Formats: sequence, structure tokens, C-alpha cells
Amino acid sequence: MKLYDQASSLFWLLASISVITESLRLGVGTLHNPGMGFMTFSASGILGILSLSIFVRASLQKEIVKREPLFSGGMWRRVFCVLLALTVYSSAMPVLGYLISTFVLMTVLFWVLEKKKPGLVFASALLSTLITYFVFSKWLNCQFPDGLFGL
Amino acid sequence: MIFFDNILQGFQVAFQPTNILFCGIGVLVGTLVGVLPGIGPAGAMALLLPATFQFSSTSTLILLAGIYYGVQYGGSTTSILINIPGEASSVMTCIDGYQMARNGRAGPALAIAAWGSFIAGTIANIGLMFVAAPLANAALSLGPPEYFALMCTGLIIVTYLAQGSVVKAIMMALVGIILGSIGLDLISGMPRFTLGINELTDGIGIIPLVMGLFGVSEILENLEGNLKRDIFKPRVRNLWPSAKDWLQARWAIVRGTVIGFILGILPGGGAVIATFVAYSVEKKISKEPERFGKGAIEGVASPESANNAAAGSSLIPLLALGIPPNPIMAIFFSALLIHGIQPGPLLIKEHADLFWGLVASLYLGNGLLLILNLPLIGMWVKVLEIPYKLLFPLILLFCLIGAYSINNVVFDLYVMIFFGVMGWVMRKFGYEAAPLVLAYVLGPMLETALRQSLLISGGSFLIFFTRPISAISLGVAFLLLLSNLLPYFKKQRMQYDQVKE
Repeated sequence: MKLYDQASSLFWLLASISVITESLRLGVGTLHNPGMGFMTFSASGILGILSLSIFVRASLQKEIVKREPLFSGGMWRRVFCVLLALTVYSSAMPVLGYLISTFVLMTVLFWVLEKKKPGLVFASALLSTLITYFVFSKWLNCQFPDGLFGL
Repeated sequence: MIFFDNILQGFQVAFQPTNILFCGIGVLVGTLVGVLPGIGPAGAMALLLPATFQFSSTSTLILLAGIYYGVQYGGSTTSILINIPGEASSVMTCIDGYQMARNGRAGPALAIAAWGSFIAGTIANIGLMFVAAPLANAALSLGPPEYFALMCTGLIIVTYLAQGSVVKAIMMALVGIILGSIGLDLISGMPRFTLGINELTDGIGIIPLVMGLFGVSEILENLEGNLKRDIFKPRVRNLWPSAKDWLQARWAIVRGTVIGFILGILPGGGAVIATFVAYSVEKKISKEPERFGKGAIEGVASPESANNAAAGSSLIPLLALGIPPNPIMAIFFSALLIHGIQPGPLLIKEHADLFWGLVASLYLGNGLLLILNLPLIGMWVKVLEIPYKLLFPLILLFCLIGAYSINNVVFDLYVMIFFGVMGWVMRKFGYEAAPLVLAYVLGPMLETALRQSLLISGGSFLIFFTRPISAISLGVAFLLLLSNLLPYFKKQRMQYDQVKE
């Protein structure tokens, strides 16, 4: 955990410094009349101190147990694939509309874990897209984007 | 008389066809979520919340309460049958529940879990009826310093009860406060930390945040691992505990209920910690502690009673004080705000139909859950057999729909994905999401209370120590923080003794 604690505490330290800077710009005010940045300044100040304490403690610690890699095996590729699919979906949904973009997303997601028969993947994707569309859009009146093709 | 009128009014509200339907859907979805590891009560509530916009606030709360209750019931099924807790509040049930199933006593284990939950849930509802209204009246005399102190104590307790490092949990609470401050400043009305993004002017939505931190991150973590589960298929029969089982479990149910009820009310408490305490107490006072871990029925009855009692009593601080004591109640809090209801001491008076309708629906929900969990146990066992490769795309799709349909803006999808990745990375580095979510919700209230207190006192922090409730509350929080140093001093002392020898 030593390296992970050092890395994460440095990240939070940097985050706290940037929040402190922004809080000062917004105006911390006085104790009589606290400003917009008062709470965030205090919170990020404590965050910075605690991050520093974790960093120092981790640096002084002896690594006894062998560190396990953060991304073990090749499974992280699945995660990357899913995240990429979700991001592309978010960008494509307003353009392509709910039905088309969701069908494509579900096809990718059903296919990611196991290479199944294409027919089964398409059928599962189509069914889940249509059911959610009718339940959420038609029954519960959620407003999904129609997209360029009006679907 | 007014009390009984209120109860009658509550039952009239709860027994309206729409509310019965919502209660039924809530407990069904809750049980399903409890049975299936992967989405959690917070995610499920966040998912269904947008779908309730066209319905009344009472129906919405009845639905959410049903989910919360249902999860506590459903979680025990997986704990007993496959040794996998559907939810964190069912972890302790695994220890003896699974052993009972292994010994061919899955039926009595499931039955005592369901009956214990039912009894505890019912008693907690009675407690809720008697405690919430007087507490709300008393809370009317509380000012900003008391609210600030109570919220601080709640946050400290959540961080104190963190499973990992307390320092990291406090850091997450601070990050939650900072995230909660994004958007318009409550007093000056000016935007802050919006990075020039228009969508951030209203702040980060709680639904995408919760969906990301709990739902998406859980899926990402599961995708990295082995997705095949070994399911032990016990024969489920004799779904009625014997007289001996009842005799052994009766006091465990009572003790679990009392512990759960008290820990549920405390800010920062909740169902999870209640089960740990209830199980430990039961084992400690047992005349035969060696039976625990080998299939003792008290080891199932006690935590299951505790988590249901805590689920009921955790509604008290939310409905009486307007302070959500845990992340699940934070979703309730947001639901009330979305429906235009300000949680606080006036809620019970101004929205009596909502409060009493909710209380009455809890009785209804408890009864429905008993029916769902005993005769239909076979159906839930079948649900457990659904492969994860089919479940995860559907859960992800529900998360996407839930996050999008709150405001119908794509930006919320990006927020959800961002917090999904953040939650996933946080898990890897040992940071917990629960303090972040609670602090995110409490942050704006905490800030307002602090700034108002300082304005009242003319900038003196002494205001928090000259008023008894805030002084006691902050004192407790300080002691809790201080108690974290005890193991360090103990270790130093041991090292000193070793050197001396």
C-alpha cells in the first residue's frame, strides 16, 4: 500500500491546493462575516494536512507485504472497453437518438464479457432496448432524445 | 386522540391503490436488489427516483422506503444460501446462516431471518411513531449551532465507523463537503467552482453521483474479477422455525431490535453497524459462544432483526430533524427536496399525510415482505442463478437511464461516468464512498449553519461550546476522534515495555 498511499495522498494534496487557491480568489471573508470561500478553504485546508500526514506516514513505513498490482491480469481491458462504450454512448445519444445508440451500446456490452452467437447478442440488445424504451419513455414519460433519424 | 387520528389518516393514505402498488413495487425491487449483488439500495433508489416525478411525494417515499426495507430482507437470502451477502448489512448473517444451510437447516434459517426482520421492523415502526413527532417538536428550539454540531457529529461517526482508514474516511468527507459547495453560493447567489460549465451552476446532481460511486464503480470492480459464482443448492424445506428454534432465537430478536433501533437513530449509524454490534453482543452474552460460527440460530436472528430495526429508526433523524444519518437517507432527503418538501422539524406538522402515510406503509411493506420472502423463496433462489454477464449490461443501462432522466441532460451521464471511475479508483486505493456522499448532502446545510452561527456570535466559535446540545454533541465527536489515537499509544506502550524488558 505504500506507493498507493503516497500517490493518492499527493493527488489529494494537489486537489486541496487548487481548492484553497480558488477559495482565496472567491473570498474567505472574516469570522464575523464568512465569505463564499470560507467553508471550502477550511475543508481543503484540513484535506491538505491529512493528505500530507498520509504521505509522510506512508514514506516512513516499511513495505512488508509484496505489493499487488492495481490492474491485475488482462481483465482491466474489459473495464476500459465498457468505459469507452459508455463515453461514446453519452456523446452519440443526442445525435443518434435513444433507440439506435442504446441498441449499439447493449450489443457491445453483451458481447464484451463473452463472445456469444451474434444472433443472441443482437436479440438481447434489441429486447432490452425496446423494453426500457417502452417502460421509461411511454409509460413513465421520460424524455429521451429522438436524434437525427427521429428514433 | 390526535395521535390515533393521525394513525388512521396514515392508513387511509397507505391503502390508496397507487400507494399499495408503490409499496409492492418498492419491496419487490428491494428484495431483488438485496438478492443480487451489484447495485445496492442507494443505486436502486437513485434509479427509480426519476420515474416518480409524476407521482406524489408520499408515493415516492413509500416506494423508496419499500426498497430500503426490501434490501434488508433480500440480502439475507444470498447470505444464507450462497454465503455471499447481497448487501453490507447482511455480512454477519453469512456466518451462521450459511452454516445452518450447510447443515440442512436452510428453511429455519430463512424463516427466522424473515420473522426476525418482520418483528423488528414492526417494533421499529411503533418506535418511529412515538419518537419522531416529539423529537420534531423539541427540534424546533434548536438553532444553527446545534444543527452544525449534530451534523458534524454525524459525519465524524460515519468516518469513525469506516471499514478502512479513519483518516482516509475523514478526507472523503471533506471531499464531499467541497463537492457539495459546487454551484451557486447559498447566501450570495454567486457561482463557485463551476469551471465555467453552465450545467454545474445548479451543482452536481446527487443521482449521477450516487449511481457513479456505488453502481458503476461496483460493476467496474466486478468486471475485473472472476464472474462465475459457485452456487451451493441446499434443499429449502420446513419454512417454519420449530418451537426450540423460537425459544433459542426469541431474546436474540429482542436484543437485535433494541440495538438496531438505537444505532439507527444515531447520526452516522445505520443498518450495517447495527448488525455487527448485535452479533457481537449475542455471542458475548451467550452461554454457549462456541456454537456461533457453526450454525447458531441466534447468529441469524440477531443481525437480521438489527438491520431491519435500524432501517426503520434511521428515518427518525431525517423526518424529525431534517438530518440524513446515512447515505441511504441522503437519497430520501434529495427525494423530498426534488418533490418540493423541505426536510426539517416542521415536516411532520406541515405534511402530516406524508409522514403518517409513510409510517403506515411500513407496516404494509413488512407484511408484504414476509409473503415475498417465505412462500416465494424458490423464485429468489432462481434469480440467483442469472449469470452476471447478462445482468451487468442491464444494470448499467438502468444507471444510464436513471442519471439521464433526472434533468434530461447528457452532462449528467458524463458526471456519472466520472464518478464511476473515481469510485472504482477510490476502492483500489482504500477510500470509501459513504462518507463522501453523506458529506456531499450535508455540506451545504453544514455551511449555512456555520455561517449563520458565526454571524449570530459575531465571529466567535465559543457559540458552539456555550450551548449545551452543541457542546455535548461536539464533545462526543471530539472523543471519538481522540479514541482513534488509542491503538497508537497502546502500540508505543508495548514497544516501550519490550525495550524495558
